[in-house]
Amino acid sequence: MGKNIVEPERLRRVEELYHSALRVAADQRAGFLKNACQGDAKLCEEVESLLAYESSAEEFMGTPAFEVAAKLMAVDEASEDQADPVPIGVTLQRFRILEKLGGGGMGVVYKAEDTRLFRTVALKFLPKQLARDPASLERFEREARAASALNHPNICTVYDVGDHEGQPFIAMELLEGQTLDHRIAGHPLPLKECLTFGIQITEGLHAAHQKGIIHRDIKPANIFVTSQGQAKILDFGLAKLASAVTVGGEELEQGSPDGRSAGATPRATAPLPTPDLLLTRTGVAMGTAGYMSPEQVRGEKLDARTDLFSLGLVLYEMATGHRAFEGDTGPALHSAILTQAPVPARQLNPELPPKVGQIINKALEKNRDARYQAVSDVRSDLEALRQEIELKRPARWREVAVGVVLLGLIASATLWFARRQSSSLQVAPDLTLRQLTTNSTENPVASGTISPDGKYLAYSDRKGIYVKLIQTGETQAIPQPNVFKNGKVDWDISWWFPDGTRFLANAHPPGEDPHIWSSRGSSIWAVSILDGVPRKLRDEAYAYSISRDGSTISFGTNKGRLGDREIWLMQSDGDQARKLYEAGENSAICCLQFSPSGESVAYFTSDDSGDTLLSRKLNGGPVTTLLPTSVANGTTDSLWLPDGRLIYSLREPQAVGSSSCNYWVMRVDARTGEVSEKPRRLTNWGGSCMDSTSVTADGKRLTFKKWTDGATVYVADLDAGGSRIINPRHFSLDEGFDKPQDWTADGKAVLFASNRDGQIGIYKQSLNEDTPKVIFAGPANDRETRVSPDGNWAISIVNPKSGGPSEPGKIMRVPITGGSPELIFSTQARPVHISCARLPSNLCVVAEATEDRKQVTITSFDPVKGRGGELARLDLDPDMNGNGWLCDVSPDGTRLALSSRLEGPIRILSLRGQPTQVIQVKGLDKMMDLYWAADGKGLYVSNGLNGGTLSHVDLRGHAHVLWESHGGVRTFGIPSRDGRHLAIQGSTISSNMWMLENF
Amino acid sequence: MTAHSTHDVTVLLQAWSRGDDEALQKLVPLVYRDLRQAARRYMVGERSDHILQTTALVNEAYLRLVDVQKVSWKNRAHFLAMCAQLMRRILTDFARSRGYQKRSGKLNRVTFTEALWVAPQSDTDLAALDTAMKKLAAVDERKSRVVEMRFFGGLTVQESAEVLKVSQDTVMRDWKFAKVWLLRELNGEEHRGA
Repeated sequence: MGKNIVEPERLRRVEELYHSALRVAADQRAGFLKNACQGDAKLCEEVESLLAYESSAEEFMGTPAFEVAAKLMAVDEASEDQADPVPIGVTLQRFRILEKLGGGGMGVVYKAEDTRLFRTVALKFLPKQLARDPASLERFEREARAASALNHPNICTVYDVGDHEGQPFIAMELLEGQTLDHRIAGHPLPLKECLTFGIQITEGLHAAHQKGIIHRDIKPANIFVTSQGQAKILDFGLAKLASAVTVGGEELEQGSPDGRSAGATPRATAPLPTPDLLLTRTGVAMGTAGYMSPEQVRGEKLDARTDLFSLGLVLYEMATGHRAFEGDTGPALHSAILTQAPVPARQLNPELPPKVGQIINKALEKNRDARYQAVSDVRSDLEALRQEIELKRPARWREVAVGVVLLGLIASATLWFARRQSSSLQVAPDLTLRQLTTNSTENPVASGTISPDGKYLAYSDRKGIYVKLIQTGETQAIPQPNVFKNGKVDWDISWWFPDGTRFLANAHPPGEDPHIWSSRGSSIWAVSILDGVPRKLRDEAYAYSISRDGSTISFGTNKGRLGDREIWLMQSDGDQARKLYEAGENSAICCLQFSPSGESVAYFTSDDSGDTLLSRKLNGGPVTTLLPTSVANGTTDSLWLPDGRLIYSLREPQAVGSSSCNYWVMRVDARTGEVSEKPRRLTNWGGSCMDSTSVTADGKRLTFKKWTDGATVYVADLDAGGSRIINPRHFSLDEGFDKPQDWTADGKAVLFASNRDGQIGIYKQSLNEDTPKVIFAGPANDRETRVSPDGNWAISIVNPKSGGPSEPGKIMRVPITGGSPELIFSTQARPVHISCARLPSNLCVVAEATEDRKQVTITSFDPVKGRGGELARLDLDPDMNGNGWLCDVSPDGTRLALSSRLEGPIRILSLRGQPTQVIQVKGLDKMMDLYWAADGKGLYVSNGLNGGTLSHVDLRGHAHVLWESHGGVRTFGIPSRDGRHLAIQGSTISSNMWMLENF
Repeated sequence: MTAHSTHDVTVLLQAWSRGDDEALQKLVPLVYRDLRQAARRYMVGERSDHILQTTALVNEAYLRLVDVQKVSWKNRAHFLAMCAQLMRRILTDFARSRGYQKRSGKLNRVTFTEALWVAPQSDTDLAALDTAMKKLAAVDERKSRVVEMRFFGGLTVQESAEVLKVSQDTVMRDWKFAKVWLLRELNGEEHRGA
């Protein structure tokens, strides 16, 4: 190639041409060069040979040299310790070494013959790092000897411990099979196996705990599954040693000049007497920290319950194929273990019976007092489930699980689809689905798109923008632009440029509900992954898409009542912006995307009746409807695929509680822009919805954000006269949609609404129980059930199903012990609120908006005798159209707390003729719920449309925030009548990016 | 850090900048200490949150070690450029010595592909890169320095531009071109060696 005789002058010429050629589209470069080289073929060749490396150069030297060297050093140190401690054939004490089974950074394992007992054993040498510390060594021997006393079919037996030239080894049972982490390998195990192994592990653990031995490092890599299908726990006694050394190592790390402290020790050991496994290990162990219990992370004194948490993680991984806690760094993992709830197991594996999720959740309680207290309890729950399933159907669990799901959430949806005969129900058989991000519910993914070459995923969450290399999972954060350094911003990744080096992102004002994102306060940024720097293209604009050739960006601007009213186009550098379409004053237009050929565009228009997806040729012509309002209103996302199909995510119309969506596809004629093939449902998912859909240039891989909004009940203890909460804990151990309603009169059980059985029912669960009892199977309203003053009745508002204005709502009573509901009275009013005092007062009140929506009347009622007299009237803010008001009766039945506007004030109206007290609460401007504190001296007020805060407000208006929820279901809090507990609405949004192939 | 006073490091760096290679030998353990710490993070399964910043952080550490009053460098960027040179020397030497060990069979072969996070064809190492950079310097010294500062020193585009007294665009162009040039060079090396 002549590159060895490069002259500086020549190189400059080459460089110039190289940069010029880069500006030319790839397919035209050859022509361009031919022209530019002016017959100098060598020059052309030279430039072309460099251009050939252009794409690979992107990532070249992407990791700093220092980091590269550090990785190499890590590998070296690991392999140094891998050096064989003993040669084959020698006899150590009574063990004759037969062959090496494997060796990794965590120790070497040999097959050996016990010359005294004539049996074959596995000899495992501890890693050198462990052997260097005499104190650890002594502890190891002590523990190993204790472990050798454990003789149980589900524990790998330790025969003996020994020492060879200062290197300790253990002689143990030789097993054939594989470890559980290899068995799982990213895929959920069949339910039957999950339960069988789970039960076997609990049996092994039970035997150990009985003898006072805690394992401390239960994880899939420490569970061996023999070729006979028996689970055996490995490495009893080793974990304590390893963790002790690690702690010491961290201390040493500060002052150890040679860096050979035990900090380099992997936290756990792996005896794994299978050749294949150990040989494939690099010794650079990743993330064993992911299996610690919270108390272990905090370095507290451990008891047997630490094993139960880790067991929960193992069950989770068997059931889902995924780790419950994943993180790139130890600190991130530790914080996840301490503060975050893992993605609900049933979300990752919808076929799991709910009970599995409940068992896992209970084992994974962060507070060990709230966890299973003994391994035998886990065992009996697993065993009960196994029997239940075997009883139900002896068939394969997959069928059983599908049955369960169908009975649950999907049943109504399926009927709905069955009615739509025109649409094919065929679901593509071999869709492959892969989760790309593992954000926790604390920090759900906001948006994401795949690069045209399928290499990268750009995504955003509350903390910023990231670029993930899909193949390796390596993720880099894009630094926030300086303008956002001091304030927050919500990023929404819009679209990649076709060259795959830049993408568009919208910066939205923080805290806005993504559903109402618009151009107002937003700006468009282009982010280059070459230098990781976002550059602003335009203010007051909301980018929608980029044309397939990369030349044109479409964006929305000029926000009106319903949303942005104008769609504009501009060049990829932000220049030459021009208006394309404009919507009328009372409508909006949005989300323009280009057809594969670039000839046509598709966009949504909205007015008060809803949304419509239209298509039109870019150069004018008639407008075609792609999705009529009836469908478009339920659409959460749509994308025109490179093969001309349109894919859209449609809400299941009758899903209860959490949103449920499925993808549909239909073919659109590229020429006419008309629908040419009927919509076909592509997926069969439940319990989640999709948006942020994007596709690779070849149309083979689709990525999207899949989110689930869950609602859960928390219970906290009240302190400081009800103005503080302590020890909030997960109470409804279910992954559905649970909303607290009230407490039983004795304050010992919470009533909550739940969709766990497919429709909203009312349940009662005692503080000391894990499972609720059904009071009323439903269908009920999820917000309005109160307990009567005497505690005998649950009073519920049941709105008519059709929701028609003429049909009355019904106020029903159900015995608190359960039973069938009976009508107390009906009401035409909507909305309606009810509340009840407690004994000795017998007062319940119903607050109803008047027909003209200008006032609210408050009337007393009795759960048995029915409606009583009017107590008060409240004038409403005319702007609120009869909504936005609150009413709650005080526990002693003497006062009403009322508010007629979102921003207050709260009025305390006396029913005994005392003057009305007006409370102006600072900082609360979206008051949504209001409940009296048990002592009548304060209120629990929630603020915010989504998520929001829960505060205790005293009667002078001082607010103290108790609980904060980021997005999702609005929080609120209901105190028990004895003032000891608060039931809190918690929300879980889990949102992650997924990738779909073969669609 | 207690073993080396602020003063020592300043003097050592200054001495090395004047060409005193013995001073370099005394600086090596400092870099090695940081390197071991980083290696240990890998061993226990932790990774830096912002990998791109690692080198910059190491440089910052040196900045703190140096007695700023006595530093004769014109400014921070120049000091960091100095550190980049130091890094290149030490890391390349480390890679070379490792290469010898590899050839003598003491170490298993490790694919650098994974370590460098680069395209498959550029299975290369730091030592070979150093050699290629020397070749590049012979025809365009500035480009070689850009690579030294960016890859070995973790300098930003802006800092590199400041040291070289050129525009940031020039640095970006140099960086882009140097990368393809070096990649091609390294691949050529590979073919000849095979």
